[in-house]
Amino acid sequence: MSATVITITSGKGGVGKTTATANLSTALALLGKKVVAIDADIGLRNLDVVMGLENRIVYDLVDIVEGTCRLRQAMIKDKRLEELYLIPAAQTRDKTAVTPGDMIELIDQMRDEFDYILIDSPAGIEQGFKNAIAPADRVLIVTTPEVSAVRDADRIIGLVEAEEKGPGDLILNRLRPDMIKRGDMLNTEDVIDVLAINLIGVVPDDEAIVVSTNTGRPAVIENGSLAGQAFRNIAGRLTGEEIPFINLDGDDSFIKRFSKLFKK
Amino acid sequence: MSNERITIKGTSEGLIITIGAGAWPGLIDELEQNLSQKASFFKGGRVALRVGPRQLTRPQLETVGQVLNRHHVTLWAVESESSGTQEAAVQLGLETGLVERRVLEPPVEAAPQGDAIVVRRTLRSGQVFHHPGHVIVIGDVNPGAEIRAGGSVIVWGRLRGVVQAGTGEIGEDAVVCALQLAPTQLRIGSYIAHSPPEDDDHEFLPEMASVQDGQIVAEPWQDQAGSNS
Repeated sequence: MSATVITITSGKGGVGKTTATANLSTALALLGKKVVAIDADIGLRNLDVVMGLENRIVYDLVDIVEGTCRLRQAMIKDKRLEELYLIPAAQTRDKTAVTPGDMIELIDQMRDEFDYILIDSPAGIEQGFKNAIAPADRVLIVTTPEVSAVRDADRIIGLVEAEEKGPGDLILNRLRPDMIKRGDMLNTEDVIDVLAINLIGVVPDDEAIVVSTNTGRPAVIENGSLAGQAFRNIAGRLTGEEIPFINLDGDDSFIKRFSKLFKK
Repeated sequence: MSNERITIKGTSEGLIITIGAGAWPGLIDELEQNLSQKASFFKGGRVALRVGPRQLTRPQLETVGQVLNRHHVTLWAVESESSGTQEAAVQLGLETGLVERRVLEPPVEAAPQGDAIVVRRTLRSGQVFHHPGHVIVIGDVNPGAEIRAGGSVIVWGRLRGVVQAGTGEIGEDAVVCALQLAPTQLRIGSYIAHSPPEDDDHEFLPEMASVQDGQIVAEPWQDQAGSNS
């Protein structure tokens, strides 16, 4: 078994990287894959909270890199899924505690054991981002339908290309069909028009995500939410399945889509 | 055989056929041969006839027009130093004398500042591309990206970032062309402009921006090419 290493990044903060990492890791595990999620946001760790595993942390990523503990000791097994693990970030250190070389070495130790290794990148384009991207086989770029987020995503895609990690795939998060219908929000086409990369998923803005984040139960576990369904679809696409997109653009006619205006 | 008595040259105004010395009937035959040899080259085009001092009558010009028509070429102008020929041309509704000026006009853009470089990718936000010569981008120039060129900038794609053209000697003679010209800011030489707020249609309308009368003007490419003739 040789793992696919997927880094989730965005440039801009607050667009849903951590939520995406938690949900995709969980969804892949639900598909029967063996998955480890790594929080590379050293100093601002979050992934453990979103996955509901905060109270089990003893060691973290920096401890492994510095040799304070063995790799195994820092891996936290998920409370619901057998084949899902988390390596949390250190809360007391900063991004310079780890180098891209450390990350590559660490990930290489785990490749044989897992199907998927997901890395939650910190926001920004500095060392934390470079650490997260260094071991990646695939990169998922998360953006929201806002001009500033799209601009940052474009910047990130340029940096990902410069690292020769391909242009990556795009997750468009927090789409609001009602706003798109009114012409008050960028639609999928507007975003793809600028970024021109493969779209792997569109996730609607969904209150279920807020609830799930607060309770530490990723939305993909419940069957009810549209956002959960969207993340499950993305996980399926990551495994190579062909899954049609949920129509979220709020219009049914092709013509309407072209006649729509948006305000900047 | 030698075709030297008839020469054909392409210009911005279309083709110009120059007819040199020699017996008229033979020249017509030669023209006919020329046209059939390069039929696909001529087809659908328009030509101006340059006959030097030769005196041609109206029927003779009509014959030339018919020969050209048979090969799907339109005669639109006759240039001659002979007043008789000019008169005959006017009677047939053809232009006279326009040709010379067009041909002698030097190309607007003369020597480039160093070499042109082809950038075969999309320039993304935060990426800056500098080059002392002309810059050709095959791809988009996204918002937040920047190009600085000594010469002109051609974007085979959408231009939505910042462009500074003509930082070199060419200065304000530089031009900026794009399949979709909607730069955040456009500078040519020392002039600065920005795109009017667009209503975000995704149509591709190739345009060329240049400095005219002290300001940057963008014009649709169709007009520049004169393809509506």
